[in-house]
Amino acid sequence: MAPKPISSPVPVAWYPSLAVLMLSIGLVVTASFFIYEATSSRRNRSLSKEITTGAVASVFLGFGSLFLLLATGVYV
Amino acid sequence: MEAIRRSIDLSYSFIVDLSMDQIRIDLTSSIVRVFLTLKVENTGASQASDVLLAFPPTEAEHLAIVKASTAEGKRKRKTYVPLSVNPTELPDAPNGARLFSISLRNPLKTGEAAVLEVLYIVTHCLEPFPVEISQSETQFVYYHDSATLLSPYHVMEQITYIKTPNNKVESYTRVDPTNRAGTELRYGLYHDLPPYSYSPIIVHFENNNPFAVVEELVREVEISHWGNLQVREHYKLKHAGARHKGVFSRVEYQSRPSISGVSSFKHLLARLPPRVHSVYYRDEIGNISSSHLRLGSQKSELEIEPRYPLFGGWKATFVIGYGLPLQDFLFESPDGRHYLNFSFGCPLLETVVDELTIKVVLPEGSKNPSSAVPFPVNQQLEVYYDFSPISMLAEPLMLVSAVFLFFIACIAYLHIDLSIRKS
Repeated sequence: MAPKPISSPVPVAWYPSLAVLMLSIGLVVTASFFIYEATSSRRNRSLSKEITTGAVASVFLGFGSLFLLLATGVYV
Repeated sequence: MEAIRRSIDLSYSFIVDLSMDQIRIDLTSSIVRVFLTLKVENTGASQASDVLLAFPPTEAEHLAIVKASTAEGKRKRKTYVPLSVNPTELPDAPNGARLFSISLRNPLKTGEAAVLEVLYIVTHCLEPFPVEISQSETQFVYYHDSATLLSPYHVMEQITYIKTPNNKVESYTRVDPTNRAGTELRYGLYHDLPPYSYSPIIVHFENNNPFAVVEELVREVEISHWGNLQVREHYKLKHAGARHKGVFSRVEYQSRPSISGVSSFKHLLARLPPRVHSVYYRDEIGNISSSHLRLGSQKSELEIEPRYPLFGGWKATFVIGYGLPLQDFLFESPDGRHYLNFSFGCPLLETVVDELTIKVVLPEGSKNPSSAVPFPVNQQLEVYYDFSPISMLAEPLMLVSAVFLFFIACIAYLHIDLSIRKS
């Protein structure tokens, strides 16, 4: 009958490490996206590859910046 | 005597007499605390399930808390069991006396006696006299009360002890037998008092305790399901003692602290929950650095020192903010709703709050909020709401979609051919 305390789905102590990890992965994928754009010629580009790389990079960058905000104390 | 007894018999179905009561009035701080020990005896025909307490209307307006308890067990295993106290109305109460009824756990049968302990706290009842004092004078206040307890019952024996903060009592009303020894003033022993008997007394004594009053307090509590509770409190503080007249000489204040500004106060102590973090103390000018925070396992103490000492009638406005871990205050009730269990009152110790507003900010995507506020104060405030954890994804999805939009823009730019010449 004791009420269950609610806490964050991700342990608070992990916030800084998660932020760094996800932002670095996101930046690496962003780098690969721009390298692909720069090295391939207009005819050889495949739109699906560009979009998937962009989507993966934005997911990691989005969550990484969320954890960065949480780790610095801006609890959104 | 018989005739009076019978008329009261008609309005109650039982009579309870107070065979012995002892009143201890504590005037050692700016808030008056009264402890009553009542020995009640049922001399009527039927059972008594509650005992009534009466207060004069001026005192009833400034009552902060009324608590009652009774002792159970004997000697070493004595435990005090709290009893519920509720205001009641009685049609024939004289002169607007306000009544509170204490519900007994076991009804009192005819001839039985019980001992009740009552504590009540009255605010704003110490009147400073002289009304204005200069920096080097000390503060004297009037305390108005009655030598005999105002009670709807017949009182057989009664004694009152008044404790003052120090030996300097300027004057006090004599209602024989009265005696004064050091810091304790005794009125009693009185015998055989009729119901609603009232003999007003005035005690004029020195009280230099800080008369800190918060005129308005606005507390904002922001809940974030990512693990934090952010509290922001806006205070309007005032010194409600004897008003300061004349000049304020900083030199005299600092060079002779035992004579100058004895009734003023410099520090205030706030008691915060244990695992507090990111505490700040600011006002409209900016951060106030004169504060100390002591963290502990049971509680944390924040000692704040406003930019200037507060003399009578002076005011100060400031903001205190701090963060708390969510799991200490937010729980999930068995029916699936989330509820916030937060303390209602003001964290500053020994201060009176005149007006209190609490705002609770619920996270995005909460539905059906409702709140339960129990009175009297110093209880826990509970706010219930429905919240599904999926709503927590709203924030990261916003960020993800913003970044993805940027990538789509890059792709679109690189695919659009803006050259005029055919390549």
